[in-house]
Amino acid sequence: MLKLFLLLTIGLPWLGAACIWLIGDRRPRLLHAFAVAFSAAAGLSALAMLPYASEEIAISLPLGGIFGNFSLVADGLGILIAAIASVIGCLAIIFATDYMKHAHQLARFYALVLFFIGTMSGLGLSGSLLLTFFLWEITAFCSYALISFHNDDPKAVAGGIKALIMTQVGGVGLLAGALLAYAYLGDYAISTFLAQAGTLPPGVLAVIGFSFLLAAAAKSAQVPLHSWLPDAMEAPTPVTALIHAATMVNAGVYLLARFYPAFAEIPGWSTTVMIVGALTALLAGLMAVAAGDIKRVLAYSTISQLGYMVYAVGCGAIFASQFHLLSHAIFKALLFLAAGAIITAIDTRDLQKMGGLGKKMPFVRLAFIIGSLGLVGLPIANGFFSKELILEKGLESGPLALYLVMLAGAGITALYTLRLNWLIFAGEPRGPEPQHDGLPAMRVSLGILALGTLTSWLLAGGLGNMFAGTLPFHHIEAETTLTVAEHIFSAPATWVAMAVILLSGALWFGRAKLAPLGRIFEPILVHDFGFEWLQTQISRLVRGSAALLQHTQTGQVNWNVAGILLGLLAVLILLARGISS
Amino acid sequence: MTLSPLLIIMIGVIGLLGAGFYGLLVSRNLIKIVVALQVLVKAALVGLIAAGNYNGQINLAQSLALTVIIADTIVAVMGIALGVQIRRHMGTLDVRELSKLKG
Repeated sequence: MLKLFLLLTIGLPWLGAACIWLIGDRRPRLLHAFAVAFSAAAGLSALAMLPYASEEIAISLPLGGIFGNFSLVADGLGILIAAIASVIGCLAIIFATDYMKHAHQLARFYALVLFFIGTMSGLGLSGSLLLTFFLWEITAFCSYALISFHNDDPKAVAGGIKALIMTQVGGVGLLAGALLAYAYLGDYAISTFLAQAGTLPPGVLAVIGFSFLLAAAAKSAQVPLHSWLPDAMEAPTPVTALIHAATMVNAGVYLLARFYPAFAEIPGWSTTVMIVGALTALLAGLMAVAAGDIKRVLAYSTISQLGYMVYAVGCGAIFASQFHLLSHAIFKALLFLAAGAIITAIDTRDLQKMGGLGKKMPFVRLAFIIGSLGLVGLPIANGFFSKELILEKGLESGPLALYLVMLAGAGITALYTLRLNWLIFAGEPRGPEPQHDGLPAMRVSLGILALGTLTSWLLAGGLGNMFAGTLPFHHIEAETTLTVAEHIFSAPATWVAMAVILLSGALWFGRAKLAPLGRIFEPILVHDFGFEWLQTQISRLVRGSAALLQHTQTGQVNWNVAGILLGLLAVLILLARGISS
Repeated sequence: MTLSPLLIIMIGVIGLLGAGFYGLLVSRNLIKIVVALQVLVKAALVGLIAAGNYNGQINLAQSLALTVIIADTIVAVMGIALGVQIRRHMGTLDVRELSKLKG
């Protein structure tokens, strides 16, 4: 049964993508129906896998040679990623049936989204380093193609290319690590790598560990490789909610969590991971305070929350990081989709043109506020439990200075979330009248996600059980939901964090007095602490070298023949030398 | 070094190969390129037969050569047909001006 569900979870979205591609743009209603049907079926089969979680290799496809075996393993981490990708993917597609109603080239949109959902599930479930790399790159491609979906908009095209280049930097790290592991172990299987990592020379293991960290930082938009994510906000909002909030950006955290047992012993690795996470959480939070575009605020907050997860992995709190990954996927998808509903209703993303929308859009306001509760981490919402768990572990096993940074990050989260809600819903209207309060399909997605935000913390016990049972290398202890909750409510760290959150909430109401301070820092925050410059340089370098290489493409037969001849000559020389030695 | 028949044939093959590659490198006319390609393949054919004769498997070499001749004829036909169409649509056979696919 497990094999069937595994294949369905990955295969159904891919099949759906192919079908939709073949149907083309002529029948939009059929496209909507197909996309929803395929993604819903994939979501159900991903959920059906849950009881079958096991550490055994479920499917193995021997490719032979240097490709090794492509295998799929349905363990706790993998099923979690696959379930998030397919279920939130399904909800995003339901949302998109209203959001993209009047868009052109729907077939391209749905085909790419479905292709992404299948690939992301596969990435979680992959048991081979090389397969992981291939799927990793396909998700980067889908992300690029969907950011640039409106390809007549230069900003969207530039954002897409930037995202592609920055995530490729990480892809190189992943490939280098995978090939190094293969060179020393002769096997791509992740379980072999985790079991035998100790036998590798320490230097080699360190190189693998840090190149995986590079891969994760690029994919999960960690400082200093983060600024592609705000620029990725040109994508249609359902895509942003799915790829750039709930799934693809989590791949980096997933990678670190997956390989944590192998790398934990590398000197300096855990500390580096913690520092990267903490810096990201703090800096991105500060940038979110200054951003003026509803989607950019949410993008910076995503980066900041990813920082929390990375920090948790650095502390060794794998369960806490994955639990926060689940909570974040749900509440951030909710926030983005609610933002999407607002954007379609008033046709602007500028916070200065919103205000006073609460009365006209009560349903969306409720959904957005529930999502915000999750983001800030107030009790009853899922973000509270997972974030407090991370902070508590950080206090237990990390340096105190970094814990204080994370605590400040929690306060800043509360500050920018309050500001966001205030600017959108409170005060007098500063812009156009909203056209609607969420269209029917939008309301379905928002309602389900809001319910998830309020209840998904109940899964803590089950998730811990699944992890404890299927991840032999991670040594996770299972606790019931009740114990986790008790634990959190009785920990002093929780109440410190609550106090910080309340304090920073109070800061917003004293904002008139703090305005001069804000004016000093605003230029730095808007310019991304100068990281923007760094990334633009990388992007420019890659484009420049591509343009240089383009000169070799003369399009003239004679030159091509010369190239072939030279290549032949080189091969002959190599062969001759090989034989003589 | 004595000039064995095989050596003489091989020198001829290399000469033909050189002529063919030279033609491919310098000619700009599409018809000439097709002709140069033919010269190149003919050189390979002669080399194939000579090699088959040398190690006693002339039958194998001959059947391979026949296959290559057929494939090669198709290449020539396609090349010339493309040339005719290109001449019709673009009014020229100069390959330097046919770089519309340049990236």
